[in-house]
Amino acid sequence: MTEATLPIRNTQGPDGAAPRGAIRLEGISRVFGGGIVAVDQIDLDIRAGEFFTLLGPSGCGKTTLLRMIAGFETPDTGRILISGREMQNVPPHKRAVNTVFQSYALFPHLSVAENIGFGLRMRGVAKAERLARTEQIMALLQIDAFARRNPAQLSGGQRQRVALARALVNEPEVVLLDEPLSALDAKLRAELQVELMRMQKRLGMTFIFVTHDQHEALVMSDRIAVMERGRMLQVGPVLDVYEQPRSVFVAEFLGLSNIWKFTPRPGNVAETALGALAINTRIDTQRTAMIRPEKIWLYPEADAPRDRPNTFPGVVREAIYMGASTQYNVELPGGAIVLALDTNNQAAERSWGPGERVVLELKPGNIMLIDG
Amino acid sequence: MSQHLTPPIRRALLLTSLPVYILLYAPLALIAVFSFAPAPGGTAAGLHWYDALLHAPNVLAALRRSLTLALGSSILGTVLGTLMGFGLSRFRSRARSGFAAALPSLIIYTPIIMPSLVFGISELIFFNLMHNATGLFAAGLLTMGIAHVTFQAPYVALVVFARMAGLDPNLFEASHDLYANGRQSFLHLTVPVIRPAIIGGFLLAFTLSIDDFTISYFTAGPGSTTLPIYIYSAVARKGISPDINALATLMIATVIGIGLLQYGFTRQKDRLAVPRTGD
Repeated sequence: MTEATLPIRNTQGPDGAAPRGAIRLEGISRVFGGGIVAVDQIDLDIRAGEFFTLLGPSGCGKTTLLRMIAGFETPDTGRILISGREMQNVPPHKRAVNTVFQSYALFPHLSVAENIGFGLRMRGVAKAERLARTEQIMALLQIDAFARRNPAQLSGGQRQRVALARALVNEPEVVLLDEPLSALDAKLRAELQVELMRMQKRLGMTFIFVTHDQHEALVMSDRIAVMERGRMLQVGPVLDVYEQPRSVFVAEFLGLSNIWKFTPRPGNVAETALGALAINTRIDTQRTAMIRPEKIWLYPEADAPRDRPNTFPGVVREAIYMGASTQYNVELPGGAIVLALDTNNQAAERSWGPGERVVLELKPGNIMLIDG
Repeated sequence: MSQHLTPPIRRALLLTSLPVYILLYAPLALIAVFSFAPAPGGTAAGLHWYDALLHAPNVLAALRRSLTLALGSSILGTVLGTLMGFGLSRFRSRARSGFAAALPSLIIYTPIIMPSLVFGISELIFFNLMHNATGLFAAGLLTMGIAHVTFQAPYVALVVFARMAGLDPNLFEASHDLYANGRQSFLHLTVPVIRPAIIGGFLLAFTLSIDDFTISYFTAGPGSTTLPIYIYSAVARKGISPDINALATLMIATVIGIGLLQYGFTRQKDRLAVPRTGD
């Protein structure tokens, strides 16, 4: 069913070069009344068949960007190309794009099956094909048991699946998802995250996912774009953005981090609030050092490594037990607090309580330098 | 809330609310009781005065006129009111704040809170002017109908507007997202989801028209006596007679019946409401 396309669907861009489902944004801006710049000069290429996430705090412009791709908002400058086709004067109902809304927006007067078949019906797909495709997608998402129910009779998770089915059944080139999991409880959210990924890989459609939840972004995406105040701070594969954040904002928004300003000293040494840190990379114009808590080694005071750089004694202030791991907030003699994360795989002999003394090792290779 | 009230306060509230209910419903009950009064010279209570109504050509003609007027004006008033409510809700969702955002409510409420006396007189003056200018708009059922539509439409608009305001605005975007053009979205989404409001609005318009005296009185012409006008002139002429009681009782029964119908449709509206998010 991945290959099936409808005859009325434009499957190729005018030049035949842009693949079905690829999106290009060129210099997109949107300014709301009162001069609020929601989206500021964004250029972005989203590949066909990619799970792409727009991540950022509320008000960063991610939803506005999504709404412009759907056609609900018109950019003030720039252009949007979907599968190589310019979308300037194409209204939402003529775009091969379907949206899963945060509120699900299921039609209250229609049954589950009728909700799912709505898009096909509006495009004049024959009834027999409509029913067949509706049943197929309901089976795929395991909602066939509720086909005749009203949306009001469904649980949050079931509604979410119906909203997804209602988009997927149309086999759009692009599926837009606006925080679709934010109303669900944690366990259900985790289940649906995996299911969304699986569905996207299976159907091969481009998914653009909007979220403010960094964990969700890490779990599901092929690539993410971190947004702040209408701009894209960093775009790249999840691993790259997490491991090599290019700004303090990205480092802090995605995962936990220890961040210190520093003064460069000769011999690749950074003078920070902790003291002198040996750095592996060449210090250029960067003035901020960052290390992820899980990349800090913790030792009991007795078997701390001697003669290795960047080892610091400290006292555990808080030990936050999180099941699989424990977060230690360690205070160094100078008063600086360092976050260190330790997996709980060695239990008793390597866990510490508040007030206990430990030694931290910040391996030079794990310290990232950030501009600014 | 009531469980926090101490017994003396509860008793006091009951004692004060009782007279209110008595004042509200006792006169209605009284009319109904009197309508079963015995025929002149007779002693047995019964349906005599109802029977008399059936044989009074004036009453039947007035009833027919009232029903025609109510039905015709309600249909037109509902169509216009629905479009008005729909349009204003769209306008409201675009206007962000300030006067523009308040404008739709203002447009709807102004005719509703306008005293019907003022409304009736202004309609009378307007129709006179129009009649002098064009020769059309002679006072009669037509001018009454137009006047009724004018005061019904805002009520219908209010009901439809309230229904639209209670809907997830994403619903309309979702319909466009699912390939519906403007016309399809209106037919396949808007009309079905506001249908309970449209029907409720129609019933409200119908009751308002059947029951209206003031505006009808000002816009009526020769030979367009409706039931309320007939009752008024009958009472003015010969005082309250048992046949008027019977007529009033019938009207009360009709209005209660329509009210119950309307309640049924409002309840259906609740069934259609989908909680926006979560379980």
